[in-house]
Amino acid sequence: MEKRYPLTAAQKMHDSWIRQYRTQQVSGLSIVAALQTEFDFDILEKCIREETKRYGCMRVRFTRTGKTGKTQQYIISKDEREVPIKDLTGMSLQEADNVMQNWAYETFDGDDIPMCEVYMVKLPENYNGFFVHMDHRLIDSCAVMVMTGDILKLYTHYRYGGEYPDELADYEMQLKADLEKSANTRRFARDKKFWDEQLDMYGEPLYSDIQGPQVLDEARKRHGDAQLRSADIERKELFVQVKDYKLEPEAAGILMRFCEDNRISMTNLLLLGIRTYLSKQNGGQQDISVQNFISRRTTKDEWTSGGSRTIMFPCRTVIAPETDFIDATNIVQNIQNHIYMHSNYDPAYIYDEIRKRYNTPEDTTYESCYLTYQPMSAKIDNKYLAGIPVHARWFANGAATKKMYLTVTHTDDGGMNFSYHYQTVQLGEKDVELMHYYLCRILFRGVEDKKRTIGEIMAMV
Amino acid sequence: MSKEMKFKKIVAQYCTVEVGEMKRSSRFREDLGFSSLDFMSLLGELEDEFDLNIEEENMESVLTIGDALELIDNLKMAG
Repeated sequence: MEKRYPLTAAQKMHDSWIRQYRTQQVSGLSIVAALQTEFDFDILEKCIREETKRYGCMRVRFTRTGKTGKTQQYIISKDEREVPIKDLTGMSLQEADNVMQNWAYETFDGDDIPMCEVYMVKLPENYNGFFVHMDHRLIDSCAVMVMTGDILKLYTHYRYGGEYPDELADYEMQLKADLEKSANTRRFARDKKFWDEQLDMYGEPLYSDIQGPQVLDEARKRHGDAQLRSADIERKELFVQVKDYKLEPEAAGILMRFCEDNRISMTNLLLLGIRTYLSKQNGGQQDISVQNFISRRTTKDEWTSGGSRTIMFPCRTVIAPETDFIDATNIVQNIQNHIYMHSNYDPAYIYDEIRKRYNTPEDTTYESCYLTYQPMSAKIDNKYLAGIPVHARWFANGAATKKMYLTVTHTDDGGMNFSYHYQTVQLGEKDVELMHYYLCRILFRGVEDKKRTIGEIMAMV
Repeated sequence: MSKEMKFKKIVAQYCTVEVGEMKRSSRFREDLGFSSLDFMSLLGELEDEFDLNIEEENMESVLTIGDALELIDNLKMAG
């Protein structure tokens, strides 16, 4: 029998969402990668099967232990399932995307079953490639990009005689290393001290909503507690819409140059923009928390071992309106650097401590916005496929656990893309438009004069 | 294994530069391609490996491999 392992903190995060929202749909991750060229599907199938051997995370399964019912994982040594081919020609590309979108809504229900499905796809307009649907506990966006690149490198190796791709790190070895690290009691104590000190310094966090203070007011009425500092989480109506906004290369370049010139990371600039928007929307509230996703991929093995290594931590800052924009970016950067240093901590413990100290009601939160910034380009780096048009898409799983989730990526032309995923039961397109409009105005007013104060910027935009 | 070699082997896990090519003057960000997350994770690992407590005021002065080795020495002596 395969060895059973507990879940890592990042996996536990998704696992707890599945339990809280009572559907595996919240943990679905799906992409299509297709190229506008003829594909040899026999070779492609061989490559996908080979990838299943190389990339251990594709062979992970989950089981439950008897008494506690806790989820555990194991890695099967072989998965020799067929790789079906789906023919979606004879329709428009948009219609084919709609079909694949429906596949993305499918759930992996049950224990001890495969949590990964790969199809080869023939799409309209002569696009051909593969569709991957996986459980987020097995893989995150960085790992998907590594997997996609690796499959295509295998393909160009067998098809065109290109170089065989470098070995990938072993999932199980990395998992063992991660679990060992998290069991280091000295590190745990240091991490806990850092997070506890945040609470010692600032006290209980305070909710701030995209739509303004009325959301917290309503929660206070519902709970009959005028001092309540957290607001309700939507647990039932999870339908999500996605709205994308493109930032042109010239404008994106201004932000990137500011980051470079001032040694500020783009994540921190975006976090400052979001927290300033929330402050503006909430009557100048100074204590703002935003959830930020961190991908725990720093070493080479962490980069290529697959798995789910993305985890979110609250970025909590208290910034007075008279603070200069540049000083505010440094406040955010400083706290984020500390968070990076303590990012091996399981964020569930942060909220356990908060609940213990402040009796936070169940199903309430202090954060309305979540950010993921992906510096890694989604561009396919393979000289044999250079210049071939690509149809690559991420499909939303259709069930949002978060009210507003912003993903910022770079585009091939040097621009940036702001992708807002929002729960439709709570937010409309207008809310998203407003947020994006003000977020951009805040960023550009700050960047054009870094000595402007946060208060001045909020008044200007 | 010397402390310097042990240290460089840890650093090598985070970048594509080989141990033999690392110099004391190699800068983490510019020469070794470290991001903020890489750098802060490395500091966390150094705390574990060398049994140290790295305080905030020490972090900013570490720009090169030589700076980091010096910091380890100083903290070891102080501890």
